Amino acid sequence: MQFTIIMEPIVKVENLHKHFGNLEVLKGVNLRIAPREVVCLIGRSGSGKSTLLRCINFLEDPTAGVITVAGISVPAGERTSAHRQQIIELRERTGMVFQSFNLFPHKTVLENLIEAPMIVKRMSREQIVPIAEQLLEKVGLSEKRDVYPSRLSGGQQQRVAIARALAMQPQVMLFDEPTSALDPELIGEVLEVMRDLARDGMTMLVVTHEMSFAREVADRVIFVDGGVFVEEGSPDQFLTNPQDERTRRFLDRIL
Amino acid sequence: MANPAVKLRQPIARRWPRIPFEIRLVLWWCFWLLVLLFLFSGTQIALGPIQIKTISLDWGFIATWWPFISKGVIITFELSIISMLCAVVLALSAALARLSRVASLNSFANLYVSLMRGTPLFLQFIFIYSALPQFGPSFVLNAFPSAVLALSLNYGAYMSEIFRAGIQAVSRGQIEAAYALGMTPWQTMRRIILPQALRIITPDIGNQFIAMQKDTSLASAITLLELMGLARQAGAPRQHYFEALVVAAIWYWLMTIILSYFQRKLEHRMARSDR
Repeated sequence: MQFTIIMEPIVKVENLHKHFGNLEVLKGVNLRIAPREVVCLIGRSGSGKSTLLRCINFLEDPTAGVITVAGISVPAGERTSAHRQQIIELRERTGMVFQSFNLFPHKTVLENLIEAPMIVKRMSREQIVPIAEQLLEKVGLSEKRDVYPSRLSGGQQQRVAIARALAMQPQVMLFDEPTSALDPELIGEVLEVMRDLARDGMTMLVVTHEMSFAREVADRVIFVDGGVFVEEGSPDQFLTNPQDERTRRFLDRIL
Repeated sequence: MANPAVKLRQPIARRWPRIPFEIRLVLWWCFWLLVLLFLFSGTQIALGPIQIKTISLDWGFIATWWPFISKGVIITFELSIISMLCAVVLALSAALARLSRVASLNSFANLYVSLMRGTPLFLQFIFIYSALPQFGPSFVLNAFPSAVLALSLNYGAYMSEIFRAGIQAVSRGQIEAAYALGMTPWQTMRRIILPQALRIITPDIGNQFIAMQKDTSLASAITLLELMGLARQAGAPRQHYFEALVVAAIWYWLMTIILSYFQRKLEHRMARSDR
């Protein structure tokens, strides 16, 4: 599908730099994501793709650049309390799914989902529980609502994690290698939830190694190497006819 | 061909083949306790040329003074409960301060912990009760408040390390998840980190409480009439220190056993909810 960006991008990354000490991990990255677009970031470990994702919701503090999500613009640099408040508002509009799930082990599945909406958005229990139950049904885990995370399989935990992020009703979903920590037979159930999410029109930025997912669901694939975007394009043209030598070498190794 | 000079090792003959290990433990426990009792029974035995005389306790003294000394248990218990509550508050505050990036709080808390762990508890008791009044009448504290202050400050410092370790034991990933969901650091601390940290450190805190029971005995040096103080008071004028202290010792031992039992039960309950 050809995607011409005529509307205001829902995610805008401008001139993003990130240093860890002396090491520059992101070297002036620019990215625009349109609403409902699914973008996949691929690359070796250390290429900066996860760092880019984590800079978007300020889990990492960028060294320079401006991040804009759903109209909220936050520049890199010093943190005043006004800035901190804006970052929180930005985070309310983004949902993140982690490689190691990061569920709250001392709370049940349902409690995991309703925690943030009640604390951050100050929703009442009566308001949020129906929404949470609906989400659990969507990811296929309704019967696990009162179970503790330690009793779930990896695939189930990740699906709960996705539901937990969705409970905040974000406009953009960020996925940081969501299936990398899963046993192969559990990957499918998580990818299916992500596929449904994309079909329902969620804007998604996914760091992944799952090429099949990228081919099926992504509108755009970007190859990241050494802190810069080396190549980007639609999945078909990307995977069948990579232009850059580095992209070709990487795809040879993983496909 | 087997070498006849090599003898096959025979299995060690077991003397008690059918009694399980746990029961053997209990039997030996009873045996050692009886030995202890025997040592204090005052009997005399002649083993050939050797005369063995066990320690003779004045059991009459013990019977008479038991109620008097035992009243101290209540004060000991009160003292340890109140001091423990204050110490926990201090420990949590100090731990948070030492984890914060506010330099003034961080350094102050570190100084507090260093001072309290660097000086003997006994010195702190005497200091608060006898040395502070040198600075003026407003610094005079009675024995009980002095004891509470000394125990709280001292144990608060030691326990702040336990709290800090517990807080840091909560995995970083969960903190990131909480932030990504829009929670502030304080909300994260209150709802995610502390509940888990408290569960991790409860056994350690229980141990501290049991230890504090015994350290309350130092209050007898600043005239507080808790268990140890009453024991000394009963034993001194009548030169029956041994008997009086045996009474106190039995009480401390009993309290420790009972508290340890409850702590184990608490740990079991907490382990169950993790399953």
